[in-house]
Amino acid sequence: MDGNLVPLIALRPGQRGRVVTMNVGRGKARRLMELGLLPGEVVEVVSNSVGPVVIRVRGMTLALGRNVASRVWVEVIS
Amino acid sequence: MSEVLVALAGSPNVGKSTLFNRLTGGDVHVANWPGVTLQRAEGKTEHHGIVLRIIDLPGTYSLSAQDIGEKIAREFIVEEKPDVMVIVVDATSLEKSLYFAVMALELYQKAVIALNMIDAAEKRGIHIDIQGLESKLGVPVVPVSALKGIGLGVLLDRILDVAQGRVRTYPLRVDYNGLEPFIHEVERLLRERGVLDKYPSRWAAVRLLEGDEVLLDELKKIDPELAEKVNSIRERARIELGEDPERIAISSRYSLIDEIVCSTVTRVKLAAPTLTEKLDELMLHPVAGPIVSVLLILFTFFLIFAVNTGFPLNILFDHMGYSELAALIEEYSLSGILGSLFDWLSSALSEWLTSMGYADWLVGLISDGIIGSIGTLASFIPLLLMAYVFLGAMQDSGLFPRAAVSLDNLFRRFGLSGRAFFPAALGMGCSVAAVVSTRAMDDDRERMVTAMASPLIPCQARLLVLLALASAAFTNPLEQSALTVSIYFLSFVLYLLVSKFLNKFVFKVEYAPDLVMELPPYHRPSLRVIWWYARSNTEHFVKKAGLLIFVLGVATWFLLNFGPSGYLSQGDISKSYAAILGNLLTPVTSLIGLPDWKYALAFEVGFVAKEGLLITFSSITGAADPVEALRSMGITPLKAVSMALAMNYYVPCLATVAALFSELRIGKYVLLTVVIEIVLALLLAGTAYWIGILMGFS
Ligand SMILES: Nc1nc2c(ncn2[C@@H]2O[C@H](COP(=O)(O)OP(=O)(O)OP(=O)(O)O)[C@@H](O)[C@H]2O)c(=O)[nH]1
Ligand SMILES: [Mg+2]
Repeated sequence: MDGNLVPLIALRPGQRGRVVTMNVGRGKARRLMELGLLPGEVVEVVSNSVGPVVIRVRGMTLALGRNVASRVWVEVIS
Repeated sequence: MSEVLVALAGSPNVGKSTLFNRLTGGDVHVANWPGVTLQRAEGKTEHHGIVLRIIDLPGTYSLSAQDIGEKIAREFIVEEKPDVMVIVVDATSLEKSLYFAVMALELYQKAVIALNMIDAAEKRGIHIDIQGLESKLGVPVVPVSALKGIGLGVLLDRILDVAQGRVRTYPLRVDYNGLEPFIHEVERLLRERGVLDKYPSRWAAVRLLEGDEVLLDELKKIDPELAEKVNSIRERARIELGEDPERIAISSRYSLIDEIVCSTVTRVKLAAPTLTEKLDELMLHPVAGPIVSVLLILFTFFLIFAVNTGFPLNILFDHMGYSELAALIEEYSLSGILGSLFDWLSSALSEWLTSMGYADWLVGLISDGIIGSIGTLASFIPLLLMAYVFLGAMQDSGLFPRAAVSLDNLFRRFGLSGRAFFPAALGMGCSVAAVVSTRAMDDDRERMVTAMASPLIPCQARLLVLLALASAAFTNPLEQSALTVSIYFLSFVLYLLVSKFLNKFVFKVEYAPDLVMELPPYHRPSLRVIWWYARSNTEHFVKKAGLLIFVLGVATWFLLNFGPSGYLSQGDISKSYAAILGNLLTPVTSLIGLPDWKYALAFEVGFVAKEGLLITFSSITGAADPVEALRSMGITPLKAVSMALAMNYYVPCLATVAALFSELRIGKYVLLTVVIEIVLALLLAGTAYWIGILMGFS
């Protein structure tokens, strides 16, 4: 395993990770999972600077506020 | 079968409204971001002699009844039991849009899948095995392109097949793995007690285990004891499985989707959407993104301004020495031409009516009160059409959601997320649309705050008044556009500041909600989609204008021409009822440098609708062209600035107030919105006026 656990917000553009846990409230977790962001999915970061983190997951592009993005923990894939 | 009821359902942004417009000839709002449709729309079409009543539902990611859109969609399906539910999915991203389809098919099996955007899928080398999909899902699947009009006949055939029972459909069964024994347990309990029987029992059992609050509440009301029991089964499942049942349910659905996609979708070439990547590099850039977003909006107004006034061509020609040509361009700008046309029409008509021997007052009513007002508003139609075409193109392009993302960081300082960009942007079209669009907000407080602040953004009606004021009081096009652009800029600033104020002092929460939003791929704006948007909005304007002219135009004409002493044949309007009404408000308007009762009257009429300001000016002066009308009232640059500020903020129009009531449902907040606007208007216009006086203007 090369995966150390980091929050999504720590990934640089182009880096990929596999979602492990989501540390958010129930409503938000349901919303994220229904959007296809659920444990086990591989996500790729498209942009990550000051605003929301933009990722690709299940073939779609998703913008996540920095607060949410810091609560989604992923295993880095190299 | 007399009439077939068809519902269009699916994830957001998959093209339901496009399909609706195509099938029914309608023109509901189509745009490229998730969450455009927020109220159901209805239309009709006929196929093989059978009438189909078609309902466009709000797009939702699931049927959890978590937000307003999901509630509307779910209630419609459960309560009204459509003859056929058309589930629209996006062929370019089945991995995602099938989630709704799976949920919906578990709930309702009289369905047809419209595999939309098949044109885009083919372009990207995505091949889908239709028969394979049909056998996996148990319902007919029809590839269509709502945008290009492909496959619609076949879709209608299949809809009728299902409605009339010629094609059998099968329920979809998701394997919920470890959750299955618990599902059976709950299902048995529901059956035994015979409750929640309007839902399929398996579906209800799964939803209850997932913790569906709406369903649990419903159960609690009929059978509190059973609700308790279900809750304890859910707890037991959580402990025994070591995982949240909801998560198991959602992943099980996605596993099924992965399996379906794996066996039915083949990608010939991995065509990277390079345009999206290139544009996103710019739009999502921390500095360039927000700047480009703001420039795009300002550019819209620059363009409108150019058409209206001939700017910058007139300046250009002037500098090149063709000053006559420049003057000609100014005079023959679109609204100039139409304005003079109606002036001519009104005087010709009045001559003719007089020669026919009609009474003076009747001639006046028809030629000034009606034709004049029609002219005033008609002269703006080309301008509005232009503005709507441009806004429509931007909305269909996919730029708006990027603008929302890039402005998120700025908006956070005011306790809003980037989502708050949508009501502001739509508000430039119409404040009512802006207020309704706040339904798409996930966060309840943000929804209320933006609904209350969005009427600050100048709508098209206010743009018209603004342009008339700018052109009447300033001759230099640079000054004219400076006034217009600064009002818009100020309005956006106020939108943010008022939101911050409401967050801090009314709702007492200051953190900004987090943005969670899907970014759809860009695409070339479709002329058809732009046309729908421009047509429906212009039509709305014309209908409203027609009503306003007959109500306001005629009313102000009577007020102006009658007074306590009867018909004022001498035309001395200072003794009219209008003057009396206007004078009620002059103590207030004097504060902002507009002591003339004529302005006060315009403000009063403008509360009904902001176009009323222009109608009043024309009725008072008898000039159809509002620019001329304002000039003959002796408008000065300072008065124009004060009026522009006051007019823009003094109160939302009647329709917006009504929309606020129905969205907020709290009278106190609506009242607060109105008070904030009045205070802002007086404060800003007053300050501008008195600073101007100190600087020596008049
Ligand atoms: N290429 C392509 N684009 C389409 C097609 N149908 C719709 N679109 C585009 O998809 C976008 C969304 O269309 P809408 O009809 O507003 O989608 P909707 O499902 O009603 O969206 P919501 O109201 O937000 O749920 C628009 O930009 C359309 O131009 C199609 O068949 N092909
Ligand atoms: Mg729609």
